Amino acid sequence: MNRNYILLMIVIVVLAGGLLFLPQKANYIQQDPEKLMWDIAQPTRYITTDEVAKMIIEKDPLYQLVDVRADYDYDMFSLPGAYNIPLDSLLTEQSDIILDVEDINTILYSDDDLKADQAWVITRRMGYKNIYVMKGGLNCWIRTIIQPKEPKETAPITEFELYKFRQGASIYFTGTEISLDAGEKKTLNVTRRKKETVAEGGC
Amino acid sequence: MDLINTTIMGPLIPLGQIASGWDFVIALLIGIAFGFILEASGFSSSRNITGVFYGYNFVVLRVFLTAVVVAMIGLLYFNYMGWIDLNLIYVVPTYINSMVIGSVLMGLGFILGGFCPGTSYTGIAIGKIDAMVFTGGLFLGIFLFSELFPALESFYYGDSLGSATIEDVFGISNEKFSFIFVIIAIIVFYVTWLIEKRVRKTVNPYKFE
Repeated sequence: MNRNYILLMIVIVVLAGGLLFLPQKANYIQQDPEKLMWDIAQPTRYITTDEVAKMIIEKDPLYQLVDVRADYDYDMFSLPGAYNIPLDSLLTEQSDIILDVEDINTILYSDDDLKADQAWVITRRMGYKNIYVMKGGLNCWIRTIIQPKEPKETAPITEFELYKFRQGASIYFTGTEISLDAGEKKTLNVTRRKKETVAEGGC
Repeated sequence: MDLINTTIMGPLIPLGQIASGWDFVIALLIGIAFGFILEASGFSSSRNITGVFYGYNFVVLRVFLTAVVVAMIGLLYFNYMGWIDLNLIYVVPTYINSMVIGSVLMGLGFILGGFCPGTSYTGIAIGKIDAMVFTGGLFLGIFLFSELFPALESFYYGDSLGSATIEDVFGISNEKFSFIFVIIAIIVFYVTWLIEKRVRKTVNPYKFE
């Protein structure tokens, strides 16, 4: 047999054998640092607690919740239907199964924004798409959804609507009735401005 | 501000390194290179192709095994170096039924015609009449298959394993399998060389210049 053939065979066996000794390593799609910085500066990853509450109540199938706090915190209190992926186990296979679902948006949350934001950066770096952060975390959740504050009288109507929604959501999540003091109920006298008539037809 | 990802990583088209409109151009260039290498390896000759079946010429087996081994090891090293993401490579879905029947038919066509689809074109390129006839039959077969496809569809897609890889099905890691495969390939190279030597009394080994 030709000596060159034998040489080539040795090379290929050495190369193939070398593969066995390569350390296992997961390849992630490289995120350009500049792009990542740009993304971090964008507020588009945030979802408000109201949107999350609405999504849970409506059982929106396009969203899933992920609690990134430690498991004992998760066991004490979390949102209904949420998965638990503590920050330090984001790189495991189980979290990949949860996060790597096409067309499903994942909302991360922790006590405040900090851990969820950290988790968001890591998941971005790992190449997952459709990852969001619940703005304000569970602290904000308690403040806005579980114990909503009544807006001032002078507040715009939209805030009252939001307050009504939050009261309803609070009942939904806690199961308690919120006492509505009939005496304090105020009737708003709405005076509508007359619509200016638009010139119809004619020329 | 330049926000475009500057690190080049494969696969080039799925990751947007090359616009997807270029895939036909790239396919054409690779096709030309493939045809050239087929012809240069002597695959335009029906004798070389059918020689595998009759046991006097195993050059086809050796060339294709070499191609598989080189591509396999190369891709694994590329993946390790971060030059390509193997998870994004398209893996042809496995349909057991149709693959078994298809490979038997293909093998039969190989022996009867003395060409495979690729080599029949290189045969035409060097003006072989039998290659032209073969290609006519090939198009006839494609036409008949397309017309009969509605009737064959359930069988064709039956017994699907999805985009299965050796790693998924047998649970053996890519690296280990590659090593075993290389050893098998080398044994095959040696054994076929021995067979050729016995069958053809005057073996004229190719010499590197």
